[in-house]
Amino acid sequence: MVQYRTQVRIIADVLSTARDMNTEGNGVGVTTLLRKGNMSYSRMSKLLSELVGSGLLLELNGEKISKYMISEKGIHFLAVYYQFEDFAQSFGLRL
Amino acid sequence: MAMIEDVLQFIGVFVSFSIAYVAFRGVKQTHSSSLLRLTTAFVFLGFGFAVEGFVELGQITPALPFSTMAVVAGLLLETTGYFFLAFSHAIDVMISKKMGVALLIFPVISLSSTQLVDVLSILSLYFVLYGVVETVYSYARTKRPDTLLIALGLALIGAGTFVQWLSLLYLNVDVLSLVQIIMKEIGLLILFTPVLRFAVGGVRIDGPV
Repeated sequence: MVQYRTQVRIIADVLSTARDMNTEGNGVGVTTLLRKGNMSYSRMSKLLSELVGSGLLLELNGEKISKYMISEKGIHFLAVYYQFEDFAQSFGLRL
Repeated sequence: MAMIEDVLQFIGVFVSFSIAYVAFRGVKQTHSSSLLRLTTAFVFLGFGFAVEGFVELGQITPALPFSTMAVVAGLLLETTGYFFLAFSHAIDVMISKKMGVALLIFPVISLSSTQLVDVLSILSLYFVLYGVVETVYSYARTKRPDTLLIALGLALIGAGTFVQWLSLLYLNVDVLSLVQIIMKEIGLLILFTPVLRFAVGGVRIDGPV
């Protein structure tokens, strides 16, 4: 069955990928975020600029490509998101 | 007995508004429409219990007269709360706004106040039972024990609503009125457990995001 993701769920997925896949500490590329985020390049680009603009992600400008790293604000957002996801799931709801 | 019922109604007010508060914090932080519907449900339930509490208070202190319409208003608020609680899974998909308003207005314009009380009690029962089914279905998907607990809480509220309906049929059996409130209160206290986790866990839910 297809499960539609809400916008906040998509944001949480992108942020958690940026957190979990940043194993070397130098950020995560767009390709990795696209693969894990399961969305089109244009939509991901728009979302990334919004997340960087709101301070949830940090953009690390490399020589050829930009990489992304979760910020402190993003980590806090994820913590709050998971708390309320837990709360909603207790009532049998999805965020 | 009226005093006990009154105290229980106001405990219901506290529990309902506490759940609504946490859900509203969630709305502010995550912009979740599911949590918005949950907030709406418990705000209606809270006001419903408050109106019913004040009606009970009117019976204790004759200086505060409350009409039958106040009873209907309290039940209408409560039923609307159960409506949002039951359909919070898919309310925006299943019915349009016009249908929702029609559902609320229809009983008001076509029935007497006594019939209204009957209809609202039965509607509440159906909404709560639907909520129980949806929550159990959700438990089957997620296997989370606390979801099953919430289903149990809703089932108790449903059973309380059924007893409330019976108390309207058997007016001479006073104890039914107390039993229905006790069942609803236990159900509500079970629904309160996710809120307690916030309090016990010491999670800051109003920090800047």
